[in-house]
Amino acid sequence: MERRDFLKRLAATGTGIALSGTIGTVNRAHARKNDKQDFGEVKSVKVHCISETSWFDNATLGKDIKAAGGINTNQYDVAYTEENLGGYAALVEVEALDGTHKKYLLDTGWSNEWVDYVFAKDGIDKMLQNKEIDTLFISHDHIDHFFGIESTLKHQPDIKIYFPGTSMEKSFELLKGADFSATPGCPKNAVPHTGELIVTETDKLYKIQDGMALKFFDCPATLKVRGENVLYFKIKDKGYVTVTGCCHPGILTLLTHARRNFKDGQKNYGCYGGLHISVFENWDPKFDDIIKGVKHFDMKKIGCNHCTGWIWAEKAEKAGLPIVHGTDKNLSYNKVGSLARAKTSNVYLGNGDEMIF
Amino acid sequence: MDNMGTHPNWLEEREIEPRWPIAVSGLANLAVLVAATGIIWWVFFSIEGVFKLYTPLLGFCLVIWTLLIVLWQAQFFDFWPLSRGFLKSAHPLSKGGILTLITIAVYLVLLFGIVFFIIGKLGITYFNWNSLQQYGELGQDVVSTRETVSWAMLCLSIPFFLVSVWFMLGVDKDLFHELGQPKFGLANWLFVAVIAIPLYVIFFHPHLGSMFYPKQIYAAVPPWWENIAHTNSAEYTVGILFCSVIGIFLTLNLWDGWPLNLVKKQPWRFIYFVLGSLVLGYIIFRIQLCIFDYLWDEAYVGGQNEANYGWRYSHTITMANFVLVIAIIQDLFFGLAYEKWHAVVRGIVKTVVAIVVGLLFAWAYYNWGPALLGVAEGVSHPSENASAFLILIINILMIQDFFMDRWPGYRLKR
Repeated sequence: MERRDFLKRLAATGTGIALSGTIGTVNRAHARKNDKQDFGEVKSVKVHCISETSWFDNATLGKDIKAAGGINTNQYDVAYTEENLGGYAALVEVEALDGTHKKYLLDTGWSNEWVDYVFAKDGIDKMLQNKEIDTLFISHDHIDHFFGIESTLKHQPDIKIYFPGTSMEKSFELLKGADFSATPGCPKNAVPHTGELIVTETDKLYKIQDGMALKFFDCPATLKVRGENVLYFKIKDKGYVTVTGCCHPGILTLLTHARRNFKDGQKNYGCYGGLHISVFENWDPKFDDIIKGVKHFDMKKIGCNHCTGWIWAEKAEKAGLPIVHGTDKNLSYNKVGSLARAKTSNVYLGNGDEMIF
Repeated sequence: MDNMGTHPNWLEEREIEPRWPIAVSGLANLAVLVAATGIIWWVFFSIEGVFKLYTPLLGFCLVIWTLLIVLWQAQFFDFWPLSRGFLKSAHPLSKGGILTLITIAVYLVLLFGIVFFIIGKLGITYFNWNSLQQYGELGQDVVSTRETVSWAMLCLSIPFFLVSVWFMLGVDKDLFHELGQPKFGLANWLFVAVIAIPLYVIFFHPHLGSMFYPKQIYAAVPPWWENIAHTNSAEYTVGILFCSVIGIFLTLNLWDGWPLNLVKKQPWRFIYFVLGSLVLGYIIFRIQLCIFDYLWDEAYVGGQNEANYGWRYSHTITMANFVLVIAIIQDLFFGLAYEKWHAVVRGIVKTVVAIVVGLLFAWAYYNWGPALLGVAEGVSHPSENASAFLILIINILMIQDFFMDRWPGYRLKR
């Protein structure tokens, strides 16, 4: 046993328990391992942004949450302004090395009305009915990623689902069919899930197909939610790509995890999704640290939206990070977020945009 | 007006004795402390309580300033305007009630009156959430501005706290001793402010200037400590300076002030105390960072949660506060039990007890806090800061000791 390991174990059995608690921590999930994991390679990955507008106005959501007691309130106890609600969902299409394609759904939004609208717009409803979509990955059970579950299940109740093990009890109930809609903005699901349910756990890597894996990180989030499933891809000749819902573990945690644990993990090609930094467009000097940290990883494509924070994306681009721009497709949707209405620069991949790795 | 400045401070003058055997008196006080903490936490702070002030920064900012005002009242103003006669004869509950009301009044005048309403409206935007929303644009909403203002006020408290303690213990009555109250208190307070305000500008204002987009570089230099601390966050300076404050209180409660009380003659007493407290604070800060490295691997620039340098700096305060709370309880409630021991043995035993029980307390907080206090799960939760709860306890301890003569377990000797 190395000296460092010995001391760590000693600490963990004594005073360390007090310091680190018994609650799962991010670093435990990406602690160094001696044998590097190799889950194969894919040829390419295309991510289609079904919706990244989880809500349409930050201030309105902020007021709702503040009125309920702040960001540590149980998400099922907050009365949300219903016309403000949207949802997050992405369609992930993977091209294997042999040229075959598979489709996956990442998250299922919030407001059923909005999710039904964007699913119809992109033909997701038909894909589900035709069982073209292999699996639904719930990144985490936050309002805007999971509360719209009925919109998926009503088309394909037996879809295979990967679900975070740390999800709230009510979230498991919702999967089985439940109604919490007495509180405005809270969900209902009249279509119980009948398919395979894989409840993800820390310290396991779930290989989905060659070149694609899911990793669960037990990390803290707001509204009493914990943990997030993250998708990793290894693109042939390019490197690793992460696709996230909110990235609560932190983008640098994901990159560091790959570097420490995956074969050729130092080759980080890109990322797509929410990066959970300046979520409400507020700023903290720590966010400047994240820009500096990400620069060390020499990524080639950063596609961000949702909870990344437009300010972070713009500052990151100015600092030289390869932020992939979106288009104005989102402006043709029947609802447009206040950020887009403010005519900010297109550093977000918006609703309807696509990104290819 | 009494010429109180030349007289012994009321805290030095009074004599306190246990009402019952030490263990019973201590346990009675502990029970009152637990009950008072629970009630105040659930009424004012918990997000499942009535006022929900634990955001967490708003709650943290409230308790750190009230603690400082309690210390000012006792050490600088010697309980002015209350007379010695009242302090000697009034029931502890009356004294405690009146002095706590004075604390709240001073808080409202100083923090909400001067800093929030006057300075925040007419001078520095980030001290008033209404000003931030009025003049700010993207991101300056009702939630984010409240946290920004709370953070700014929290940062402002740190140099005031440190310099106040330097003056209380490193200067004591060596300056302005000819003045009565409230002149003595005001003179000391103004001297503290003259030093604390520039320290705030140097160590914290750069962080606040970087909290907006674009960076307010014409009003505040970018955080100059970035390359030293591996972060732009002022949690670095908060960590070192507040660990110094905690270090001073640990020496008082565990080692009767040693070694910071070794030099008696001015100006060396003050210089030694200042430098000694900074060195002690830095040692406490660094030792904990080493422990964190072993537990959670090394932090990295831009890392999240416990991998974040800023969070680790902040967590040094939290863990030191767990130990400090136990050290104070041990000294105030059960300290007499150690009185006949040799000073070195007493210091060692009290230190070991404070560290072991402090760590057990931390374990209990992180495991049972979500159920008992309504705090968020997880050691490194971004909206969780145990220091708010711990400093609330220290507030109540100080009120119980300074204002109420450690009632109910202890009483004034007649």
